[in-house]
Amino acid sequence: MVKDKATVVIVGGGATGVGILRDLSMRGIDALLIEKLDMVNGASSRYHGLLHSGARYAVRDQEAAKECIEENTILRRIGKSCVEATMGMFVQVEGDDPDFVQPWLDGCAASGIKTRELSKEEAWATVPNLSRKLVCAYEVPDGAIDGFRMSWQNLQSAARYGGRYKTYTEIIGINIESGAVKSISVRDNVTHEEYEIECQILVNAAGPWAGKVAQLAGLDCNVSPSKGTLIAFNQRITSHVVNRLRKPSNGDIFVPHGSITILGTSSITIPDPEDTSTSWDEVEELMKTGEGVFEHLRDYRILRVFAGSRPLYVPKGAEGGRNASRGFVTIDHEVEDGLKGMMTICGGKFTTYRLMAEKFCDVLAPKLNNTAKCRTAEEDLVPEVTEADKKKARQYFPSYGVSLAATRLGVEKFADVVKTLESDPESREVICECENVTLAEIKAIANESTSHSVADVRRRTRLGMGTCQGNYCALRAAAVANKFFKNKLDDCSNSLSDMKNFLQARWKGITPVMAGKTLREAEMTRGMYEVLFNVNGGRPE
Amino acid sequence: MSKSDVVVIGNGLAGLVSALVSADQGKKVTLLSYGAGTFPLNSGLIDVLGYDDAGKTVKNPIEAIASVADGHPYKKIGVDTVKEALDYFKDIVKSEGMPYVGSADQQQWVVTGVGTMKPTCLVPESMQGNKCFNAGEVVLVGIKYLKDYYVEMVKENLAEILGKDKKYSVVEVDTKLQGGRDLTTRDVAVWMDTEAGYNDFVAQLKAQAGSGKVFVVPQVLGTKTNVVYSKIVKDLGCDVVETTCMPPSINGLRLRDVLLSALKKRGIRVIENAKAEDAEFSANRAVSIKAGGETRLQTYEADKFILATGGFYSGGITMRDFGEGKEGVFGCDVVTDCEEATWANKQLFSDKKQGFALAGVKTYDDLRAIRAGGIIENLYVVGRNLTGYDFCFEHSGNGVALASAFKAAKA
Repeated sequence: MVKDKATVVIVGGGATGVGILRDLSMRGIDALLIEKLDMVNGASSRYHGLLHSGARYAVRDQEAAKECIEENTILRRIGKSCVEATMGMFVQVEGDDPDFVQPWLDGCAASGIKTRELSKEEAWATVPNLSRKLVCAYEVPDGAIDGFRMSWQNLQSAARYGGRYKTYTEIIGINIESGAVKSISVRDNVTHEEYEIECQILVNAAGPWAGKVAQLAGLDCNVSPSKGTLIAFNQRITSHVVNRLRKPSNGDIFVPHGSITILGTSSITIPDPEDTSTSWDEVEELMKTGEGVFEHLRDYRILRVFAGSRPLYVPKGAEGGRNASRGFVTIDHEVEDGLKGMMTICGGKFTTYRLMAEKFCDVLAPKLNNTAKCRTAEEDLVPEVTEADKKKARQYFPSYGVSLAATRLGVEKFADVVKTLESDPESREVICECENVTLAEIKAIANESTSHSVADVRRRTRLGMGTCQGNYCALRAAAVANKFFKNKLDDCSNSLSDMKNFLQARWKGITPVMAGKTLREAEMTRGMYEVLFNVNGGRPE
Repeated sequence: MSKSDVVVIGNGLAGLVSALVSADQGKKVTLLSYGAGTFPLNSGLIDVLGYDDAGKTVKNPIEAIASVADGHPYKKIGVDTVKEALDYFKDIVKSEGMPYVGSADQQQWVVTGVGTMKPTCLVPESMQGNKCFNAGEVVLVGIKYLKDYYVEMVKENLAEILGKDKKYSVVEVDTKLQGGRDLTTRDVAVWMDTEAGYNDFVAQLKAQAGSGKVFVVPQVLGTKTNVVYSKIVKDLGCDVVETTCMPPSINGLRLRDVLLSALKKRGIRVIENAKAEDAEFSANRAVSIKAGGETRLQTYEADKFILATGGFYSGGITMRDFGEGKEGVFGCDVVTDCEEATWANKQLFSDKKQGFALAGVKTYDDLRAIRAGGIIENLYVVGRNLTGYDFCFEHSGNGVALASAFKAAKA
């Protein structure tokens, strides 16, 4: 049964998909994005959050390096609330190859990336934890970027231009008539209902899942999912992004985000992009390399470890993994395979998501006789929240959380939340102290059409994702969420299972790093929830 | 420099009981404390053994501990000592005005702060969840603006356990305390210590009171002993049952106060802010330890030492790198069986014990510590420092703490 239609349907709610949705919507093209789970659940939120200056690619891939520095400048402008303009450092420690430095400097210069040599004293003064075995250091315009929030801001921007999106909507079939895509079949993963969506052009932006989507049309698309494992530390170990100045390898990037630091990443080719498991060996490899730059790394508390899959595109006969290109490709299946109305975009990296969308839509739009120019670099993603609203909000919750809440929520929703805080004192309860999330904000997000579970609310609000990793807020989150989502998804039957699921989702990232200070937290979590609350459901016989 | 008969290191339940029992043996005792022990996280209930290795509820704890696996602390402590230790504890808390009820051969059931029930052996009078079984109506008391207590959630889960043949109702008390921040159970308990607060609370519940009813309240019946509890059951004319609650655990703190008071009566010297750092040995004996704050370390000599510094949470056991467990004061041998498959289960709330929870100090059967494969003749290890049990899975934490402390102090 046909239940919906759009001129263009985009499959995949990662940075690539949302970038295309925004671009098309701004060109005046009717577009609908579908995502099989919650938005931004793949590599766009499961990476180190580095806003590349391009310096990492300066030696091997100068085209990528140039794209990075250009986009870096654009994203700082249009998405400033998602970017921490930290600057970055490339460092060599004793034992690193000194012959790598000059070609790297030359590559940066040729790509238009400014570098500045720092004396050792200057480097230590800027990042005091840096190894005493430091040999040399250079400053580059790297930054940190919140991929999850920026992706959501793209959606909000697209919505202003009529762009639409649906979560928990999975493509299960591509319906072809006389050599052209006519519609797609989808399944609603909340209600389990199946239906069709008509479209003129289907865009496959499913990242590491792109191969699976192409198969639905009987096509081959050689995507090689490459798993990257990352470690999040509970401290801001460094004020700058720190890269190892050597041939790009595992575990040589540290990116500070707010009060935490992310160390990444590995690169392992895996068959199944759903695989986000991590092992002790992967963690150990990252830690060993990381220790080269920050000697006391093991004394910091690890919050969690996580993994995501890069969507590396491997042309036939080429190499995958670390040596596969980080560039991207646009595949017009009409040209490649004789199937009209289907295009695939694959590869790339977060820093260049906007440019990828621009180039891709430059090919797509003419097919619909649309000649509008790309405007995504000209306009801010979201308008800024007014100072007046922020000032009001400060009366009701700690002021350091106000700006974060403002960028999470966006201008209209933030104003709504402040209104709720004003009129309903009980909504001022701080449900998550680590990330400063009030009951009012949780209610606002829970009421959105894309929210189906406490996990969806968690990702949007950052509820339970901070220092305590849900230790204190799991109970509150479950009690509140149970009111909104009872029985909506499988396994959300009551507040107890909500609470257990909430903590279990955190646990997954904790078990691979169950040493050091993490053990302390784990013993506390269990003491509270197993002993004090007996959540395994004790009952007398 | 000072010399004691016994130096106890640690002021959780195991530490305080070790000190008390030692003093009752006529020993001169010094207790080194650092922080508040685990009492703010401790239920203050004496769980002996709630669940067996298969996760099945234990009906008769004292019977079940006779057949625990080798290596389990109860195996070393022995059934009779566990019984004696429980009796000793009951005497102490009774003489301090906070009597506990229950015994080692059956479970008491306590209502938790999320509405489940938990098995335990000894409970303070205010937490006798068993009283819900015979009530015709359960009145669930919520408190406006109180953090971490969701009365509807407690109602939903408790009703599921106690069954449909009872009536369930909810009443919300307004403390009028809210002044710009969320309330904790401690805020409300302090308010209940005051006459005005108590009267206001009772007045708001009075209309719901009646025979055959039981009030289930969060842990707010005063900060001290069972004074408020004894009064309120009389004033309301029906049973009142406190739940466990999110930390700070008021009942844990009540128990701490009571035990500290008993310590004081026995003239036990308590050194505060004394973090034990290092020990000196002579042959197979510990001679002294160094402890202190940031600037100055004091030396404490003793004929006997009792180690009660806790597990990973308290920092008594640490493991910076996989497989390299450490006990920081004496350098005792620590069991850490770090296999990736068993160290931490895939599920947090698992159907089997967590490997990391079993980590702890190796001891002989008399709880004397092992160091570098040999004995330390005058060092005893108690409570969560011990290896071989998962207190969360078993619900055995305070039971092991109490019984091991009793045994070590008597030795």
